[in-house]
Amino acid sequence: MKVWPLQFRKLDEGDILFSDDAGAFFRSSEEFLNRYVDNQLTDRDITFLRRGGHTFGEVGDPAFVGFASRWTQRINPAKPLSYVILVPTLRCNLTCDYCQVSRAAVNAKGFDWDDAKLAQVLALLGRQPATEIKIEFQGGEPLLRLDLLEAVRTFCRTKFAKSEFVICTNLQDVSEDAWHFLEAEDTYISTSFDGTSELHQTQRTKTTSTHEQFNANLDMALQRIGSDRVSALPTIDPSNPPEPTDVIGAFKSRGFGSIFLRRVNYQGFARKKYGLDSFHQEWTDYYRRFVRALITHNSTSEHFVEEYYLSHTLRRILQGEHHNHVDLRNPNWLGVDYLVVDFNGMLYPTDEARMVSRVGQIDLSIGSLSTGLDKEKISAFNQNASNFDDPDCMHCVYKAYCGLDLVDDLSRYGRVDIPRHLTQHCRSHIDLFDFAFELLYSDDPDVHKSIASWLQIPKYNQILAQRLS
Amino acid sequence: MIQLQLKVDPFPIVEPLVIRLRTRRPDPSEITNDHDAIMVSHCTETADYDVNGFSLRVHTRHPESLDGDVVLVVPRRGTLHRLIRASSNHNTLLVTEQCDQKCIMCSQPPKKYHADMFDQFLQAVTLAPKAATIGLSGGEPFLHKARLLEFLRKAQAVRPDIRFHILTNGQHFERTDEADLKSLNMASILWGVPIYAANSSIHDRIVAKEGAFEILERNFALLGKAGAILELRTVVLNSNIAELEELANYVTRRLSFAHVWAIMQLENIGYARMNWDAEFCDTSAEFDGIANAVDLSIGRGLRTKLYNFPLCTVPPAYREYCTLSISDWKQKFLPACHDCSLRSSCTGFFEWYPDNRGFIGIQTQ
Repeated sequence: MKVWPLQFRKLDEGDILFSDDAGAFFRSSEEFLNRYVDNQLTDRDITFLRRGGHTFGEVGDPAFVGFASRWTQRINPAKPLSYVILVPTLRCNLTCDYCQVSRAAVNAKGFDWDDAKLAQVLALLGRQPATEIKIEFQGGEPLLRLDLLEAVRTFCRTKFAKSEFVICTNLQDVSEDAWHFLEAEDTYISTSFDGTSELHQTQRTKTTSTHEQFNANLDMALQRIGSDRVSALPTIDPSNPPEPTDVIGAFKSRGFGSIFLRRVNYQGFARKKYGLDSFHQEWTDYYRRFVRALITHNSTSEHFVEEYYLSHTLRRILQGEHHNHVDLRNPNWLGVDYLVVDFNGMLYPTDEARMVSRVGQIDLSIGSLSTGLDKEKISAFNQNASNFDDPDCMHCVYKAYCGLDLVDDLSRYGRVDIPRHLTQHCRSHIDLFDFAFELLYSDDPDVHKSIASWLQIPKYNQILAQRLS
Repeated sequence: MIQLQLKVDPFPIVEPLVIRLRTRRPDPSEITNDHDAIMVSHCTETADYDVNGFSLRVHTRHPESLDGDVVLVVPRRGTLHRLIRASSNHNTLLVTEQCDQKCIMCSQPPKKYHADMFDQFLQAVTLAPKAATIGLSGGEPFLHKARLLEFLRKAQAVRPDIRFHILTNGQHFERTDEADLKSLNMASILWGVPIYAANSSIHDRIVAKEGAFEILERNFALLGKAGAILELRTVVLNSNIAELEELANYVTRRLSFAHVWAIMQLENIGYARMNWDAEFCDTSAEFDGIANAVDLSIGRGLRTKLYNFPLCTVPPAYREYCTLSISDWKQKFLPACHDCSLRSSCTGFFEWYPDNRGFIGIQTQ
C-alpha cells in the first residue's frame, strides 16, 4: 500500500493540516507527522488514510482511479475562448479616486472603437468555435456607446447558441434607451457600490447631485431588472475601510445577498507611493472582521449574506470543478479561454494586464485586432501558468485549491520567478486559506450555519472536516 | 394505474409485431413508415387499426391516449404491450429476467428463462418519439452482453437522438470490453449501477452474491475510464442505513466521477414485499442517517438525489433533493395527499405501498 504525498502546515493551536494533490485534507498532530515521515504509520493511521482516499495498492486499481479522477477535477482544462471583455470606449463620466489610469475625459476624442474596430471585433467573435459566450463590457463607461453594445449583442445572439452580456457600468447616466437595452433577459448589470453611501460619494460620485443620481439609478436598476441580474461590488481602501456592519446593512437593504469585497488595486504612481504590500495586515484584519460580522448577521437572519470570494474559496477546498473564476484556478491559462479587447484594438490576457500596460510599466499585450494573437508570447506565459512544478507551491498544503497570478507577479515584480511567499498573491491567499480552514474546523454553530448558506448545502456537517486524533 | 397491456382480437400473424399506433392520420411533414398503424374506426370499447391492409382490433376506451405509442403485438396471447408510450418519460424495455444476483429488495425477482427480444427492441427504438429516453432493465441486461452491445450500436446508428438509461449490476464487464464501450456514444447513455454499502460483507449479503463488491469496485473504475455517465443507486434498508455515511464517504472519494448518487426508498414489491418488515427503514421517523450522507456528498460536490421519498417524510432543508422518481404507471397518492400543498411537486407513493406498514410521518403539508 502506498500513501499519496501529503503536504502539511502548522495551524495556530499546534495541530497540523494535511492535504494531498487531489485536495483531500485532514487535521492531525505532530506525532502523526513524525510517524508519516519515519514510515511508522500504525494500522489505525492506515485505515484512516485509506478511508480518506489518500492511499492506493497499485497503479490502475480502484483506489488509484478514484484519486486520479479527483485530481483531474482540480485541473482547469484549457477551453475554447468563451469569455471576452470588451472595452468599446475608455471615456467616462466620473473621476473616481483610484481610476486615473483607465479612463479618458467624457468628451475626449480617439478613445472609442471606430467602425473598422467594431468590424474586427465581430470578425474575431465570428471565428470562435465555442457554442456559448459571455461578453463583459468594461470601460470607461460602456453605456456611453450603447450603439456598439447593441451591435455586439445582436451579432452574438445569432452566432452563439447561448450568450450572456455583463455591462460594467457606473449607473451614472442611464438613458431610456439604455434601460430598454439592459432589460433583456440575457443581460446583466455589474456596478460599483463602495459599501456605504457616504463612502461612495467621497470616493466616486463627489457631489451631492451626482450621488443622488447614482442612488436613484441603482434603485431603478433593482426595480426594473431585479437583484438576480444586478450585482454591486465595493472597492475598499484598507487604510480607511467602512464599518462592516454598515456595509452589510447597506447591501442587504437593497436586497443583495452577495458582496465581493475588493481591495483597492493601486497602479502606477499610487503603488509606488504606498509600497508593494502596503496595508497587507490591515486588509487581512479587516477581511476577517468583515466575515465575522457576516456570520453574526447570518446567525439571526433569514436572508443570508456572503462574501463572494470566500464562498468560492470554500467551494474550491471541499469540491472539484470550480474553475469559473479567473483569479483562482490552476492552471491559470492566459490568452486561451478569456480575452480582453481594448478600445484601441490591443488584446490582453486579463483586465489587470490591460491596466499595467496602460501605465507603461510593462507591456503585457498579447496581440491586436489587426495582427491577431501573439502565439509566442501566450505560450511563454503559459509555460508558467500552473503551480504543479513551482518549487514553492509544490510543498504547499493549499496547492490543490490555489493557482498562480502571473499578471500580478509581473506587474508588481517585473518577473515570474521570485519566491512565492514573497508575492502579494501568495501572501493574501495563504491568509485566506488559513482563515477558511479556521472556519471549516470551527465548533461554532453560527459559523456552520453561515458555511451551509455560502455553500448552498442543507447543513454544514463537521464530518466534512476530518480529524485524525 | 396506467394500463401497459391491452387485449387484441385474433390477428393473422405468427411472429410478434412492433408497430406504432396512430389515432389520427399523421401530418404530411411527419416521418412515417410501414410500421405505422392508423386508426380507421372506433366505438366505446374498441378501436380498429389498419396494419398494412389487415385490421387490428384493440380493446380500449381511450384510443387517443395511445397515439404515437410503440407497441408489441403478441398474437398468440391476444395481447398488445405498450413498449414506448409517447406521453411518458418512463419507458423501460425489459431485456431479460435472468440475474446473477438475488438482492433482498429486488422488485423484479429473477426467472430462469430468457426470450431474446433485441430485434423487436431495435424496431421499437427506431419508432420512438424524438429525443426520447429509454430505459433498459432486467434482470441483468449484461448477461446478454454481446447482443446488448450490438443492439446499442445499431440503435445509436439509426437514432442518434435517443438517450438510454441502462440499469446494470456492473458484474459483467471485462477489461476487453473497454473498447466496445468506448465505441458507443457514451454521452447519451446513463448507467444506473447499484451500490449498497462501502463494505463487501454488507453489500455482498444484500445482493446475495459472494465477491460481488470486489467485482463492482473494479468495474466502476472500468466504466469511469470508458467515460460512462454514472448514476449510483442505493436503496435504503435496515441492513445499510447505519452504513450510509460511510458509503457517502466512499462514493465521494472513490467514485467522484459519478454524475449523480440516487438514494432510494424501498418499493414494496417482489422480494421487498417478503422482506418489508425486516428491511423497510422508516426515514420519516429517523432521518439522520440520510441527512449525514447527503451533507457529506453534497458538501463534497457530488450531485445527490432522493428517489421515492414523499416530501412530508423529509425535513424541509432536504426536500429540494427529492425528485419525481416514481414512474407514472405505478404512482399513487393517499387520502392524506388530497389537500396537500406539496402534492404537485411530490413523487407520491408506489401503487403497492402498504398504508398500514409504511411511514409513520405522512402528513398533509
